[in-house]
Amino acid sequence: MTDAPCIFSDAPPGLPLSASPWRRTWRKLRRSPAAIVCAAVIAVYVAAAVFTSMAIEPNWGTSQDYARANLPPSTDQPFGADAFGRSVLAKTLLAAKVSLTVGLVTNVIAIPLGLLLGAAAGYFGRWIDAVVMWLVATLAAVPGIVRVIALKFAFTDTVLFGGTVFQINLGGMAGVCLALAMTFWIGTCRLVRAEALKIRQSDYVLAARASGRSGIGILFTHVLPNVMHIALVNFSLGFVAAVMAEVILSYLGIGVAVGTPSWGSMINAARSDLIVGRWWELTAAVAALSVLVLAINVLGDRIRDALDAKASAP
Amino acid sequence: MGAFILQRLARAVVTIFGVMLLTFVLFRVVAGDISANYLASDASPDQRQRFYRQHALDRPLLVDATKPITSPAFWDSQFTRHLIDSVTLRATSYATGQSVGRMIAERAPYSLALTMPALAIGWLAALTIALLIAHYRNTWLDRLAVLLTTLGMCVPLLAYMIVGQWIVFRIVPAAAWGLRNVSNIYVPVAIAVLASIGGNVRLYRTIILDEITRDYVRTARAKGAPLSRVLLGHVLPNCMLPILTQLVMAIPFLIMGSLLLESFFGIPGLGGQLVTSISRRDVPIVTALTFVTAVLYVTGLLATDILYAVFDPRVRLKPRA
Repeated sequence: MTDAPCIFSDAPPGLPLSASPWRRTWRKLRRSPAAIVCAAVIAVYVAAAVFTSMAIEPNWGTSQDYARANLPPSTDQPFGADAFGRSVLAKTLLAAKVSLTVGLVTNVIAIPLGLLLGAAAGYFGRWIDAVVMWLVATLAAVPGIVRVIALKFAFTDTVLFGGTVFQINLGGMAGVCLALAMTFWIGTCRLVRAEALKIRQSDYVLAARASGRSGIGILFTHVLPNVMHIALVNFSLGFVAAVMAEVILSYLGIGVAVGTPSWGSMINAARSDLIVGRWWELTAAVAALSVLVLAINVLGDRIRDALDAKASAP
Repeated sequence: MGAFILQRLARAVVTIFGVMLLTFVLFRVVAGDISANYLASDASPDQRQRFYRQHALDRPLLVDATKPITSPAFWDSQFTRHLIDSVTLRATSYATGQSVGRMIAERAPYSLALTMPALAIGWLAALTIALLIAHYRNTWLDRLAVLLTTLGMCVPLLAYMIVGQWIVFRIVPAAAWGLRNVSNIYVPVAIAVLASIGGNVRLYRTIILDEITRDYVRTARAKGAPLSRVLLGHVLPNCMLPILTQLVMAIPFLIMGSLLLESFFGIPGLGGQLVTSISRRDVPIVTALTFVTAVLYVTGLLATDILYAVFDPRVRLKPRA
């Protein structure tokens, strides 16, 4: 028996053996109903965020109507009204923009950073490895939410590139993204480094080195493409973690700027509402958050299963 | 063995120093001037200077280069004071003047009263459920549990907190408001257990499934060993390393308490204190509590590393990168 059929034995039938791993993953995903449903749910969130930020956000600041304050759900306002008489439905959808932006921006910064530093540390070793791992150990020594809170706390009054067109005020959402990104690259970096250590020993890297390729060239053509699957899986994990962390930060009042609709600040505003019978704002925020997190979690699980050629579904 | 422990110890010390550097850069350099939070908006420059002097914020950041290097004044800088304060826990709050050491002594018991029962009960419950559903894998029980835990993981702790309080309020209204009576601690404990159980069951199930499908388990069952002995005597000890690691990761949060639960239920522990200090921009307290969390965490990791090396010879033989 030869090796080749074994390697591809669980590829869907009818696929050419030469199909790239990414193509195979894509085809497997397309055949998974759960993955399709989750992707559709995420698409709905994105569409809602884009639509509301164009249609509702421009007038949001002046949409208070105290005559309607705290009205329960009705046919007119299906999710009821908040303490300022604004539609909770519109608020919930607007808040999706904050969550999606934080999840995306955080990982767009964190994943490439983790990939590059992890691959460089694993492949080059020596002092690069020592410096990167010291940085990782130091940041990772402050565990969990305390680290994010500490970073965001330090950023409260910080303005980057003040006075120029690139001015970024870290007191609000940009600070949340940066604090989370400075936290999240660590996980990717560790996994990628461990993988790069293995790749460094492989024959194709040895061959590339023997043929005179430079270290940087090998890093980009041989090491990085072979750790991209880690980036994809960590993206979905990081997205969920970023969304959840933003909610906690905004709940504590150190997240997005005051007045920006966010599920965290909605939960904070509604924290003692249940006792007096106002359940709609809290329910809307928690439900919107939970459904998004569930969809990304399940899709991430499916992607991981599809990527792993040896995966045996438990 | 001795060399291994020494090497780990040295690495832990380097990490702790790194954390001191990090907290200094974050809270003394990046955070900037926070005096505005503690002075009236019309404070005179004199009052401002007095605030700076009182908290040594008028000292140079790294060293006082105007003084000779041998004199103590050369070294009397914000950074040196930061290092000394971090290690001795002598930093004092801008808001209350209380020292961090005293604050920890006063508040840690409340945090422990919440987190120790929560961790113990949560851990035992999650492990029991995980063993059970791993044994009944691929049955409706397993699928139901996986579905429930997946759903449970997607609901934030905040929702458990608020809904939990509401439910308790409907049953025993007096118990819903935290620690007015010490026996009411069971409400936040139960919420902490509920909120953490989903993720833990999923994690433990994966670890146990890896072990329970091995040949030796089937052999043990085939030769007639009772189920309880196979599960508790064979499978469980072999899964203990990753499960214990995860438990050690939770140790710093024992003393730090749960930020959200403590501030929500008004429990006067350290987590609630951290939340209060953040909203007051009380830099020395945030600095010290961050540092203490890091020290506890690094110590916990060091302890697991050494315990692994003592109890699992495979760990010692593996080349450490």
